[in-house]
Amino acid sequence: MNRIIAALLYAVGLPAGLLAGWWLVSDGSTSFFWPPLADIVQAFPDTWNSDRVLADVLPSLARLGIGYAAALAAGVGLGAAIGLNPRLRAFLEPALEFFRAIPPPVLVPVIALFAGYTGWTSKIVTIALGCLWPILLNTVEGVRGLDEVLLDTARSYRLRRRTRLLKVVLRGSSPQIAAGARQALSIGVILMVVSELFGANRGLGASIVQFQRTFAIPQMWTGIILLGLIGFLLSLLFRFVEHRTLAWYRGVRRADRRM
Amino acid sequence: MHHGITRVSTTRRTALVAFALALPLAAVTACGSSDEPTPAASGGTTLKVGVIPIIDVAPIYLGISKGFFSDAGLDLKLETAQGGAAIVPGVVSGQFQFGFSNNVSLLLATSKGLKLKAVAAGVSTTGTEGKDFGAVIVKGDSPVKTAADLAGKKIAVNTLNNINTTTVNEVVRKAGGDPSKITYVELGFPDIVAAVAKGDVDAGQVVEPFLTTATQAGDRQIVSNYAGTDPNLTVASYFTSAEYAAKNPAIVDSFKTAMNKSLAYAQDHPDEVRTILSTYTKIDPKVQAAVVLPRWTGQIDQASVNKLSELAQKDGFLTSAPDIAALLG
Amino acid sequence: MSLTASDPAAGRRTRPAAGRRTDLFLGVLGLASIVALTEILSRTRIVDPQFLPPATEMGRALLADLGRVDFWTAFGQTVRGWAIGLAIAMALGIAFGGIVGSIGFLRRATASTIEFLRPIPSVALIPLVVLIYGSRPQSALVLVVYASFWQILVQVLYGVADVDPVVRDTAHSYRFRSLTVFRTVVWPTALPYVVTGFRLAAAVALVLEITAELVIGVPGLGQLIGVAQSSAAVPETYALVIVVGVIGVAVNVFARWIERRVLRWHVSVRRDLS
Repeated sequence: MNRIIAALLYAVGLPAGLLAGWWLVSDGSTSFFWPPLADIVQAFPDTWNSDRVLADVLPSLARLGIGYAAALAAGVGLGAAIGLNPRLRAFLEPALEFFRAIPPPVLVPVIALFAGYTGWTSKIVTIALGCLWPILLNTVEGVRGLDEVLLDTARSYRLRRRTRLLKVVLRGSSPQIAAGARQALSIGVILMVVSELFGANRGLGASIVQFQRTFAIPQMWTGIILLGLIGFLLSLLFRFVEHRTLAWYRGVRRADRRM
Repeated sequence: MHHGITRVSTTRRTALVAFALALPLAAVTACGSSDEPTPAASGGTTLKVGVIPIIDVAPIYLGISKGFFSDAGLDLKLETAQGGAAIVPGVVSGQFQFGFSNNVSLLLATSKGLKLKAVAAGVSTTGTEGKDFGAVIVKGDSPVKTAADLAGKKIAVNTLNNINTTTVNEVVRKAGGDPSKITYVELGFPDIVAAVAKGDVDAGQVVEPFLTTATQAGDRQIVSNYAGTDPNLTVASYFTSAEYAAKNPAIVDSFKTAMNKSLAYAQDHPDEVRTILSTYTKIDPKVQAAVVLPRWTGQIDQASVNKLSELAQKDGFLTSAPDIAALLG
Repeated sequence: MSLTASDPAAGRRTRPAAGRRTDLFLGVLGLASIVALTEILSRTRIVDPQFLPPATEMGRALLADLGRVDFWTAFGQTVRGWAIGLAIAMALGIAFGGIVGSIGFLRRATASTIEFLRPIPSVALIPLVVLIYGSRPQSALVLVVYASFWQILVQVLYGVADVDPVVRDTAHSYRFRSLTVFRTVVWPTALPYVVTGFRLAAAVALVLEITAELVIGVPGLGQLIGVAQSSAAVPETYALVIVVGVIGVAVNVFARWIERRVLRWHVSVRRDLS
């Protein structure tokens, strides 16, 4: 019981202290850019009412979800195919590393050349393309690093191709894929915001910039905080999913270490 | 004890990491360049001014080239931004000493408690429908024929909740349409022309030189949103922060004098305006010869600014009446 | 038995020299094919050349850029912003991580705060930073430092946590001063993690620097890209994107090289001991 209380105190202590500090220091502040925390908190429910959540937040998250899912599917699929074929991998690797090194926000104007700035398509394509590279390259790495013996054993047991692919190749490289997926998630959030800074009128990122432009400072702060919350929640969600799917991996590592 | 091996390797590894840090820093000092403003050679004051690369600011470019500002002891460094909404924060934060922004941006900032001071008129409408420096354009074959038809359409503007949305709403209202059904999208002026051509949006509000570029490419003008709102509309002004004005009254006065001189000169020498336009925008000679020049006056029309304030409040994004006297006084 | 080679330095199974040469040849061929593909798709108008100009035009724009002063100025501004931001983040990350990681109470107390602040996207700060710094380089600096700091901090915390408690206790029982303990015990263990953090942070720093330039208009290559795109200078846009990609590759290669060297020694020391 004591341990649970201690854990709770540790988890909540510093954040609560920081928030209280922010509240007190900013109380009665007349500075334009740093309004009192009380004002910001007050502005929250008014700003992010159900209308705005429906019209701004959900579309942004939906675009992120679609783009990310597309990147995941394409990245894992292509990555496995490339990783299993050493010649293909050697052929494509430098080119892929080059595309991955391009900072994703730079894709926004390039994709705008093809798909314009307005509408969902260009934003989803941007997010998908930006998220693709870490997943693709990490899948290639993971598949490539698989133990040859394991692959041969699977083949000699005459496991069906699909079984081999799913249960041996993908599962074996899933720690690597998970690392790539995590990187891709943070890139996706960045692109979700950046893609809305051009040619959007609705969206989470667009709203925050609008608040800044019209000097609605407390509202702008609520937007920043909301974006932070969403980033945090997405990372929690990711960790939860990763925890479930990589449970077997942790077991293997534990066994490894004991050996 | 393995201590000995670790120490040697650690030192070398630490050196490697230190090298890793030092290399980028060395690269930085090697190919970096100072972007701090250097004191003006003439011993005058260097001023940074935020402007938008459109026809409106031709007078300030002209004034610099004619030496009006250096005569007043001012060395102007112009920096371009996409819209008035981007320039106001620059002036407030001290990045620019002066800025050029449309009056709605200034009203918005003032209503939120930012203390700004308009020092000179920026640009005014010609007052003539169909022959103004800003208008709403559509593709040549668009079904949109009048301002009232714009209701329910997607219109691109360079800044949301700003002068262009306000004035377009007003002309639609005057033509009998319902402006509340319009969907506005924010794009830079060059991107607006491309978006209209591609069909990403139904219409776009642009100013010169983009207006002539678009019409020469086959687009149609629907309505002159500035002239239609108020024939005497002062669209934009040059401004500074009240703090800067209080601390540097002499510099502000010099700027005001030189600026008004430039505005008068531009009004009287349209050909030189066209020439200077091609130095800060990428336009071809055909467009340059055909652009519609706005009206440059030395006076901010207070009545039209009041009207803008009312319209912006009607549109709902100006939530409290700004102190216009303090802004223009 | 583990599924992958768990030893990172030996992760790349050494292939015979001939195999590596074939790989290199194939890789170069791959890059050349992409270039050729761009050229063909564009010239045959399968893709509209207005959207994708032929590779030769991109190349021409790139060569023209290399002769322009404003290009090199922007190049220097981007690299400078990246390097300074990265250096500040490294210093803060190592200092903060070293102190917090070594003191159990601090580590437990800050864990939740770090977990919350870490995933906040740096771009959320853009409106705030625009208001305060406008389009000055400080805007980019704030974004770069904020994003990179977390990468390094997390790695340093891992590193400090990895210290062998027996060795640390031995050092304490020899009554080493705190600084000596840090130098001889903590730092050698944490070093590989610091270098991994450097690699991750270096990439993130470049992304944020370019983002700030593109979105806010801070002077640099990102800003040139924005201007080129909206002036419809399409080959120029692509040329600049290629330049930025090359910088990204250079940063990656550099960071990985450092990491490999440090890890190799680390691993070999371990091997000597076992």
